[in-house]
Amino acid sequence: MNDLLSRRSALRAAAGTAALAAGATLAGCGSEVSISSDPDELVLWYWNRSFSPGLLAQAAEQIPGTTRRLRADLIGGTFDSKLRTSLAGGAYIPDITALNDNVALYFPNEDLFHDLNEFGAEEVRDEFYDWKWSLGTTTSGRFCFWPMDTGPTGFFYRADLFEAAGLPSSPQDVGAAIRTWDDWIDLGVQLRAAEGGSFIIINALSVFQQHINASSERYLDADDKPLFTQPGNAIREAWDVAVRAAKAGATGNLQLVTDQNSAFSSGKVAGHIDGAWWAQVIAETAPDSRGLWRLAPQPELPGNRGGSFMAVPKTCKDPAAAVAFMRWLTTPESQATSYNEMQLFPSAPRSFQLGTMTGGDYFGDQDPLAFFSEAALQVPTTFISTYESQVGAFAVQIANVESAGKDPDTAWNDAVEETLRILAKRGVV
Amino acid sequence: MSLRERPATAVEPGLHKAGRGPGSAPRQLLSSAVTHLCILIGVLLSLYPFYWLLVMATSTTGEIFSYPPKLLPGDNFGTNFSNLLANVDLLSSLVNTIIVAGASALLVVLLDSLAAFAFAKYDFPGKGPLFLVVMATFLFPANLSLVPSFWLMSELGWVGGLQALIVPGAANAFGIFLLRQFAMSSIPDELIESARIDGAGFFRTWWSIGLPMLRGGLAFLGIFTFITVWNDYVWPLIVLNNPARQTLQTSLASLNTAYSNDIGLIMAGAFVSVLPLIGVFLIGSRHFIANIAAGALKG
Amino acid sequence: MAVPLRAPARPAARERLAVTGPSGTRRRRIRENWAQYVAVSPFYVLFLVFGLFPIACSIALSFTDWDGIGDIEFVGLAQYSYLLQDPRFWNAVTTTMIIWVISTVPMLLLALLMAFLLHQNIRFKGFYRVAFFVPNVTSMVAMAIVFGSVFSDTFGLVNSALTALGADALPWLSTDWGIRVTIAVMVIWRWTGYNAIIYLAGLQAVPTELYDAAKVDGAGFWRMFTSITIPMLRPVILFTVITSTIGGLGLFTEPQILLGDGGGPNEAGMTIVLYQYNQAFTQFDFGYGSAIAWALFLLAAVFAAINWRLLSERDTVRTKRQGAGR
Repeated sequence: MNDLLSRRSALRAAAGTAALAAGATLAGCGSEVSISSDPDELVLWYWNRSFSPGLLAQAAEQIPGTTRRLRADLIGGTFDSKLRTSLAGGAYIPDITALNDNVALYFPNEDLFHDLNEFGAEEVRDEFYDWKWSLGTTTSGRFCFWPMDTGPTGFFYRADLFEAAGLPSSPQDVGAAIRTWDDWIDLGVQLRAAEGGSFIIINALSVFQQHINASSERYLDADDKPLFTQPGNAIREAWDVAVRAAKAGATGNLQLVTDQNSAFSSGKVAGHIDGAWWAQVIAETAPDSRGLWRLAPQPELPGNRGGSFMAVPKTCKDPAAAVAFMRWLTTPESQATSYNEMQLFPSAPRSFQLGTMTGGDYFGDQDPLAFFSEAALQVPTTFISTYESQVGAFAVQIANVESAGKDPDTAWNDAVEETLRILAKRGVV
Repeated sequence: MSLRERPATAVEPGLHKAGRGPGSAPRQLLSSAVTHLCILIGVLLSLYPFYWLLVMATSTTGEIFSYPPKLLPGDNFGTNFSNLLANVDLLSSLVNTIIVAGASALLVVLLDSLAAFAFAKYDFPGKGPLFLVVMATFLFPANLSLVPSFWLMSELGWVGGLQALIVPGAANAFGIFLLRQFAMSSIPDELIESARIDGAGFFRTWWSIGLPMLRGGLAFLGIFTFITVWNDYVWPLIVLNNPARQTLQTSLASLNTAYSNDIGLIMAGAFVSVLPLIGVFLIGSRHFIANIAAGALKG
Repeated sequence: MAVPLRAPARPAARERLAVTGPSGTRRRRIRENWAQYVAVSPFYVLFLVFGLFPIACSIALSFTDWDGIGDIEFVGLAQYSYLLQDPRFWNAVTTTMIIWVISTVPMLLLALLMAFLLHQNIRFKGFYRVAFFVPNVTSMVAMAIVFGSVFSDTFGLVNSALTALGADALPWLSTDWGIRVTIAVMVIWRWTGYNAIIYLAGLQAVPTELYDAAKVDGAGFWRMFTSITIPMLRPVILFTVITSTIGGLGLFTEPQILLGDGGGPNEAGMTIVLYQYNQAFTQFDFGYGSAIAWALFLLAAVFAAINWRLLSERDTVRTKRQGAGR
């Protein structure tokens, strides 16, 4: 009752005056309103196709090793907005939440989540790819974000179109022909010059981003210091490769998803670099191309794109049971099941040794599982900063170079200047 | 552009006094043909994307992105629809949406027409500043207030309840402004004056003169509110926390995934969610017809 | 901003003098008019309970730095001073203005014309009316895909038609102007029918004998349109102009679904509200998002006041004339 009163007066104060009062409101949010009145029920928020329905159904009966049951609420669309609103309101917070590859956004608010090491997470660390595990660790060293699926990357290409263009077409030959990014650009130029004139990738931005995804160093370091202003930084390197690809005419200048989908479907674009989960996307987008796409190692080394996490808010009614659920859901066996049901690519290497996973026939006689499990071993360990959400200017400017012919150096300088300005505003530089 | 120019030239001869002379019939025929042609072009342009929605709702995701594009409806609606039923509790979310949209439309029409009638046809101290407040809230950008609104709802214990979707919008500036403008243009002062002389009070006058004469505007506001609430999505998504109590839009949004979407399925959902709206519009638009008939009788 | 908006109340008040009469003290007049206060009160009650607190919060937030979850830090006018120097904000203002002009003007003219045509005694009126309103009903998610494919640079129907006619394909979705025009077309498509239905509802109030009399006088389409339809519809036109202004300045759904939260290539489709949404809900910079919202509020207030001045001055003239005629 007291709690309620203090909160109400805080509300009134906030309505009356300015900023300080708004702060008081937040501070006053002590009374948590529970999301579920059933004491044995843990609530999970997730989005469609991010969990295996079979495993969720099992956990709904009983979470193995605990006395709790799981209620899984499907949240669509603006998942982050809903979660953040609940966290900010201090009410109706789920006991476990899924989070996408933008977990770094929650680093500044890590206090709202349990350090899972306090519940024995460390015991199973060896079961996961090291690079994935470290993405879930905050800058202060707390392990708040439990690994789910991953997205090791590779070069997807249309073997039939490569063959028709008189280019290497088997995965081995293509892989051998594109050891470096310049080789890959050359191949793109030849593909473009051949009859059919396909592009090797949708746009320069895609080259830029996948190059960065394969780098151990990104926009900002673990102290949130910008790296893109340093000489010889990874971002500039990716930028230069993307500009070379665009200037050589190898990139498709397709900036919108609908254009890109049609281009994949029509064969106007015969290549793509993306995470393992893209196999499912292309299979649905271009079912007629079944058996025509193949996978080859991308130039230099593979990277990672996408892949989600789980977290346990401090308000969780039984964090130990929540951790038990996450452990159970991500055992190599469970992840193999999740892959077979939902094409969620495992974060546990031992999943592939179980022999229970099937890769499907979209890639003809090539086994995508063998390919990506190999790639996953080479993904570099990296750090993604909270403030990577502020670096959109680079994407805008690389597209300007490609579609409007803007001078690459001017575009680079504009991107750097814009980004520094935004980072200064956020108090980072 | 051509839409606007043609009728102007077509009726140019009508400006002469010879409007009823010989040759007027063919001219009228021509002008009516031009009218129909203009309207038909507009109708085709309006309906084309809707037709496209139908095409997508009946196709697989692969067919939707195929090139060259498929121009005719496919035969996958059954599969899409049964996938939809498997993933979404269609009936319960439909009922909830009807309750929310229906109650909102009714309340908005009632409360807004009262306020609009007072603002348009009566003078009372403080009216100017009061109306200024209405207009100011109309200008206020809405979507920023999600977090404080959520605090409020959680304070009231309304999170998860349908009243959180109905009550806050039960009287809105848009409707008051709309109906005020309609009332100003369509209710003559003389009618109000004679009602006053007959001894009718404000509410009586509102009921017996205001509502009937505002029927066109009321029907529009009711339909528009119904449609807006029906399609509303961000606020319901934030405030509805019980998976068993969802609206159609939040249910459909739950079909979204992080990386790829079954577009055929989502389009089938969109198609199904739009059909009732067209039904509501058909029913609601009878009021327009009734009103036009009334206008003709009056003459 | 309070001063220009107050202006309209004056002519309106003058108009109504005949109804209530100038007699009585203020207190007595308040008591006499109790029913009107009751009638307008639900709006203010709901506003006090549900509207004022969020609005006050968002004013307060615009003086802070807040990521939507963590600590709120008071920063004074920093958000506003950043806003004044933010080229992306000014780009958004320009973009919004351009799209607003190239969409609103054709949209309202077409709507007026369509309403006038539909008001004629023609067949299939009911069907036409539904057909025109369908764009406003149809799911915007679906429309994103439709417009994306119709205006697609390489695969779009529009460009296919252009090349078939021997013209060059146009870069609809990769150049600044292409994007603005495409968004304007979406707006026109979605809102013309809506405005036409409003006009149509307004037209019902116009006594048919006015048209009959004009026909007897031999007035043609254009003549009737300009000297009967438009003057009689003036308050309704004022409504549509003001709502289109507010809607146009608040343009969000169309660019967002067509181009995503980033505003498309070169941020050419980044409108003010999309930028505000982008900052608040994708960058989680709620302080700046609130500052943008209040800048937009000021802008909308100025434009609404200008519209109101321009249109309601004549409004009074019309009412007088109408009054004299009766």
